[in-house]
Amino acid sequence: MSNDNTQRTVTVSIQRFDPDVDKKPHMQDYQVEMTKGMTILDALHEIKTHQDGSVTYRRSCRHGICGSCAMLINGRNTLACKTPLIDEVGHKNRVTLGPLPYLPIIKDMVVDRTTFWEQYLRVKPWLIPPDDIPEKEFRMSKEEVNALHDAESCIMCGACYSSCTVIGLNKHYVGPHALLKAFMRVMDPRDEAPGQRLADLDGADGVYRCHTVFNCIDACPKGLNPTQAIETLRKLAQKRKKFETTRRKRQQHLHEPIPAK
Amino acid sequence: MYKTTGFISFFLRRLTGIALVLYLFMHLWVIGSATGGPEVFNARLNAVQTPIFKLLEIALLAAVVYHAFDGIRLLIVHYFDVTDYRKSLFYAAFVVAAILTVAGGIPLFLFMLEGAG
Amino acid sequence: MRVFQLQRWSAIALLFFLTIHMIVVHYPPFHINFDNILVRLENPVWKVIDILFLLSVLVHALTGAYQVITDVDRAFDYRKGLAWAAAVIGVVAFVYGAATIWAFQLPV
Repeated sequence: MSNDNTQRTVTVSIQRFDPDVDKKPHMQDYQVEMTKGMTILDALHEIKTHQDGSVTYRRSCRHGICGSCAMLINGRNTLACKTPLIDEVGHKNRVTLGPLPYLPIIKDMVVDRTTFWEQYLRVKPWLIPPDDIPEKEFRMSKEEVNALHDAESCIMCGACYSSCTVIGLNKHYVGPHALLKAFMRVMDPRDEAPGQRLADLDGADGVYRCHTVFNCIDACPKGLNPTQAIETLRKLAQKRKKFETTRRKRQQHLHEPIPAK
Repeated sequence: MYKTTGFISFFLRRLTGIALVLYLFMHLWVIGSATGGPEVFNARLNAVQTPIFKLLEIALLAAVVYHAFDGIRLLIVHYFDVTDYRKSLFYAAFVVAAILTVAGGIPLFLFMLEGAG
Repeated sequence: MRVFQLQRWSAIALLFFLTIHMIVVHYPPFHINFDNILVRLENPVWKVIDILFLLSVLVHALTGAYQVITDVDRAFDYRKGLAWAAAVIGVVAFVYGAATIWAFQLPV
């Protein structure tokens, strides 16, 4: 389908900040010739290559899998590489780009993600396998896989973390990204320490600091649901002994085939 | 600032919550005069039943009703898997709160006019 | 018991008590004086209901205020002290409020 509106000049307004020169961020406009299928990241490349080499941003894969190019596009956190320019410019032929909010800016759209990774490591995002590892493979049922709600497809882009109002107020909070990962490990039948994980998150800076603002769901470029994961963790945290016992029983059958229904 | 319906509801919840905490302690102080006997109580109560306070009471009603229905919304989200309907739930809570505020506000307003006249 | 659970259960209790309070005390609007409250509070059941209402409203208000304050980065480190302050305010306000409810009786 041909679209006559595709070929036109659009304004890309970028929030600029150079720590060596600027005291605070300011906006700078660039004119870009929009071509068919152009993404926000393509427009940024166009600007950096042909107009202003000093525009700084993170990017790597261009396939929406590395999570480097998350930024604030028209007031919403998403990945620059999977957002078509034409969807964002609207009638005003204008798109506004900025760094992820609530995080310290290093330069232009590059932010300091230290707290993001610190909180991530706090939940021990790796699998803690049982001592008795099956000879061939772990077997998970369809229901057990479905219960993860695709949490494993998180790419750690930081869109949810930096959209979270609570993170904006308080950096002690674990954050939706880490809680989603914790949820995934807790629900994983292979994981040996769900009780300990739930106990670690059962504090003032853990699952109860979430105030159900839902920004993380709106922001996630992968369509994941950290809020639901946090609500599930809250419920499980209140009955973690029982959950731990169920897990122990389940782990005795990890190497057995799942019975057909 | 990241503005969504979720943020608006969070902000209003906080705002009404703080207002209600302040109101609660004023309320306790006002009716606390009962320990001083009927005369003290009636005198202090009369001071806060002037038309201007009646008007403020409508605002109080709005805050209480909004805070309550926002809370019910969160309880629903906690006990049922309904995060997909988060925007509809927010609007529903807001509309119900608005209707109840008007329903309770009209009698209060009429009563205020009566008292003034 | 976590602050979160305290707040949630007091919220559910408040939905019940506040509905009663609004209907019985404030609807339809009338001029409040000592005597027309006394009519209701002469019944000890109402005294018990009002004391439970007082308890849940204080728990909810103070846990709520605590949550709002500890949401701020700097205040988070002082949350132990804040929790104690909230507990003290709660006890004082409860005693004061309970004395108020108790004061509504016929002069002997």
